[in-house]
Amino acid sequence: MSSQRYALFPGCLMPTEQYAYELSLRASLPLLGIDLVDLPGLSCCGEPMKSVNQTLTLYLSARNLALAEQQGLPFYVPCPQCHLSLHETNLILQKNPAMLERINEMLKAEGLHYTGTTRLVHTIDLLYDTIGLDIIKKHVTNPLTGMKLVVHYGCHAIRPKELGRPDDSENPQKVEAILKTLGAEPITHYPQKLDCCGAPLLPNKPETALAKTGQKLQAIQELGASGVVDVCPWCHKMLDSRQTKAGETVAAKLDLPIVYLTQLLGVALGVDKEKLGFTLNLSPVHKLGLRSQP
Amino acid sequence: MTITDLTSMGEPQADARAEINDRLKRLQDHASDYCYQCAKCTSGCEAHKLLELEPHKIVALLKRGLITELVNSDVIWTCMTCMKCRERCPQQVAPIEILFAAKNLAVQSGKELPGKYTAMLQSILGTGLLQEVQTVTTAANATMTRDQLGLPPLSVPSDVAKFQASIMAIAMQKP
Amino acid sequence: MRKIGVFICHCGINIAQNVDVDALTDYARTLPSVVVADHYKYMCSDNGARLIKDSIKKHALDIVVIAACSPRMHETFFRDKLTEGGANPYRLEIVNIREQCSWVHKDKPTATEKAKALIRSGVGKAQQDEPLTPSTIPVIPEALVIGAGIAGIQASLDLANDGFKVHLVDHDPSIGGHMAQLDKTFPTLDCAACILTPKMAEVANHKNIELLTYSHVQSVEGSIGNYTVKIQQKPRFVDTTKCTGCGDCAAACRLKNRVPSEFDQGMGNRSAVYMPFPQAVPLKYTIDPTKCLYLSRGKCGDEPLCKKACAQDAIAFDQKEEILERKVGAIVVATGYDLLDPAALYELGYEQHKDVITTLELERLINSSGPTKGEILRPSNQQKPKSVTFILCVGSRDETQCTWCCRIGCMTALKQIYLLQEKLPDIEINLCYQDVRSYGKGYEEFYRKVRGQHTNLFRGRPSEVRQKTDHLTMDIYDTTTNKLYEIQSDLVVLVPAMVPRATAAETARLLRLTLSGDGFFLEAHPKLRPMDTFVAGVFIAGCCQGPKDIQDTVAQASGAASRAATILSKKELEIDPMIAMVDEDACTGCGICVDICPYDARSINEKNRIAEVNSALCTGCGGCVAACPSNASIHKNFTKKQILNQVDDIL
Repeated sequence: MSSQRYALFPGCLMPTEQYAYELSLRASLPLLGIDLVDLPGLSCCGEPMKSVNQTLTLYLSARNLALAEQQGLPFYVPCPQCHLSLHETNLILQKNPAMLERINEMLKAEGLHYTGTTRLVHTIDLLYDTIGLDIIKKHVTNPLTGMKLVVHYGCHAIRPKELGRPDDSENPQKVEAILKTLGAEPITHYPQKLDCCGAPLLPNKPETALAKTGQKLQAIQELGASGVVDVCPWCHKMLDSRQTKAGETVAAKLDLPIVYLTQLLGVALGVDKEKLGFTLNLSPVHKLGLRSQP
Repeated sequence: MTITDLTSMGEPQADARAEINDRLKRLQDHASDYCYQCAKCTSGCEAHKLLELEPHKIVALLKRGLITELVNSDVIWTCMTCMKCRERCPQQVAPIEILFAAKNLAVQSGKELPGKYTAMLQSILGTGLLQEVQTVTTAANATMTRDQLGLPPLSVPSDVAKFQASIMAIAMQKP
Repeated sequence: MRKIGVFICHCGINIAQNVDVDALTDYARTLPSVVVADHYKYMCSDNGARLIKDSIKKHALDIVVIAACSPRMHETFFRDKLTEGGANPYRLEIVNIREQCSWVHKDKPTATEKAKALIRSGVGKAQQDEPLTPSTIPVIPEALVIGAGIAGIQASLDLANDGFKVHLVDHDPSIGGHMAQLDKTFPTLDCAACILTPKMAEVANHKNIELLTYSHVQSVEGSIGNYTVKIQQKPRFVDTTKCTGCGDCAAACRLKNRVPSEFDQGMGNRSAVYMPFPQAVPLKYTIDPTKCLYLSRGKCGDEPLCKKACAQDAIAFDQKEEILERKVGAIVVATGYDLLDPAALYELGYEQHKDVITTLELERLINSSGPTKGEILRPSNQQKPKSVTFILCVGSRDETQCTWCCRIGCMTALKQIYLLQEKLPDIEINLCYQDVRSYGKGYEEFYRKVRGQHTNLFRGRPSEVRQKTDHLTMDIYDTTTNKLYEIQSDLVVLVPAMVPRATAAETARLLRLTLSGDGFFLEAHPKLRPMDTFVAGVFIAGCCQGPKDIQDTVAQASGAASRAATILSKKELEIDPMIAMVDEDACTGCGICVDICPYDARSINEKNRIAEVNSALCTGCGGCVAACPSNASIHKNFTKKQILNQVDDIL
């Protein structure tokens, strides 16, 4: 298997606190032939600033895209918010030469220039479309037998469809398909599947944000799922790190294991659990009964 | 304009309306005029279920040209960006993008940023990222940071002064 | 001895699940004269039909009783099977054991007992069914079309092109109707004149069409296949054989541009001698006798100037009305609609304020051949308006005015908005609506286009329109923003309800048509016979039947023409023989039957003073049978004896 090189775009949240995502993707993806390259000089993608000044968002996205373009590498963007922001910026700059020119004028200060060619992948399409289930299947040494998992996709990974999301907006099933390949038994549909985790309200209405998380987790807990799989550092922060507090908003004791897809991928590929950051999950992941080797 | 909102004695601001519509057309390729008030956006709005956001009313205010009322409303800052409104609109109107435009206008007009937005902006200015590296607690109550976990050093803008200058320049410009 | 066969249908499980069809069949065999009884899953299927035909042949049946659904469903079909089997088709009795039995009872034994009683009584009546033969009447292969708007024009052209002679009557001096008044048509924005005038010219030149304008149908007698129509042709006071349509008379008229033009909805003026519009068909002038000084006052200065001006010597003040008689086999009624006078909603200011106008009035202002040459000018000061507000549903969907939707108002307003924005790019347009109903092909797309052009939409109805100095104001609560607004406008356009012609009731009396509750002509069936009326040979098309747009009107007109052609293409028509007859020995000639017959089918023979039945007009309703004090009126195969037998058997 020939390896494919991707520049990693870590974003803000993953490299400053959501270490489990970063640890697990760095430990597992190379086993599937993905060669991750760390670029210097990156910054925030700008998405959280879209409410403040959308030009700032375009500028921040473009400067990161330009850094990847400089190296001639596609971006692997594990955070769906970053992925959306970079992708939307790409589309706006591609169809809007005046805007591209204006942004390039700003990029000059840092000696950067962007032409609009940087290709993007997120964890979901990297695994499902680029690598493919057949290859993954061949590498599974430690199947996740008997695990009834639900997937929380998060909003930015699937909407809006017209901005090229990694999975379908209304019936996303790629993560479930990946989990099946890893030997698990995903619950493919549940009523709250497409609902928001609440995270985008954190800067302004943190209590309401937690209530949203609480409502969704309570509903999932009532489904009888073994755990929740996510692919977004923001969602994970809400579902995992804030789970106890979220439970208080709905007067429920929540004890749902929440794991990153890349953590489970690592386990199934036979990576040592220690290298996948499981000690950083604050939700009761031990309930999943994961073992390092069969 | 010959229309008066008798509740507030406000008059439609055709220019501001045109500016927002132009921006929506230019950046998102969406126009608000086609909205026929079916309120599918509000039916599915994640924020509406907990707060008072009514995306179809946001579109109606824009269509009516009552931009000051729209921009001064606190409710525009309660959007959860779930994007169900944009995804499912039968007329391809994107209420979420109208909200972004309204929030940008509010900032531009000098309104104070709510919540943690100022802190986030300052952090980006200072470090390039929303926040600095955090010390996290493990389930076993140990504390860890990035380097202790064996992760490579953070990637941040190499020339922070130039980076800051660019951002400040943008803040001065019209969005 | 009569031989009766009884055939019982299961109707799938519709009958069989609530009625014991085996028991019923056994029971039927015990009834008098019944020589065979059978049952089958679907009697109306090919196999069921074969069963009936074969049984008729095998048992030499002369009477058939079928226990199945309502005779309205398959009576004609089963009669054909009797003919094919060799029996007289009128010796058929259908016993309804579905709608009147299995569908309305839950208890199977009770329903079975009821079904037995129904079959018993059916067999009892059938004993006396006589073989009947339909009579025939010859068909006159000509049609009368009343009304020459787009509906009448379309129906006439279709019939004329089918080879039938058509007499097309219109009360106006020109054909064209409302459509001729329109500028462009939604949603494709074809110019109304561009698509209508070629058809008008075709009517004028068609060898099979006799065009009778400025005329009025005075009386209609006779029946399907053979109607006698009297048409009153009003005098134009212009010899149409001489008039060239040059217009010198109108230019000379002392009342030049002083008589409000009906065609222009009062937005412009004409002379006392006039042609309604430049493309009029026929291209002839008419003198309005109510306005003409010479005709109304007997004096026009020293001499009528029109007469002096006419080089053709076509002015004919001594012209008299003429009564024409035509014989036709079928009639198409296409008399169109009126618009509600918005003065009915006084609060909207139509009567009080000059700048409150209707859509049809605006149509004349938009039209480049209209009184302003297509310039949009406020009637009050002849200035261009900067803002125009449309109010939809004026009198429509209103329990105090018209309960129905006019079906053209939304699209008319949207089209006019589009045209106004095209003519006056800076104009501000407001639209007050409740719903925008854009249901037709391409309509919703047109509505979207107009929405995309910064039309200010207010969802609500304004309560009143007021005049303030030089402009109009209205308050409107908009339910999309939940706010009350004040709108100032230079021009307010009302979209009035569509109402039946003021003359609809009179036309209905003339043709014996029925009106529906809203005052439009009633169709025989709203879905399956939308162009038919309850009078055989008379069809309806266009807005006289109910509000509709041009598209639907043309489709319905072609449909009505096709229905009429079905009659006209036959040399003679079969008349249902199950109608009234007279027992000449019993009739006293009292005439009660003549008075009671709603179809004018009864008369007294002047020679022997005995009542007669016009078999072409009689519908077999039975009214005369019930009314006759001498038992002389008899309904064939529904005699009093048969009905009494039926009653006896069922009890």
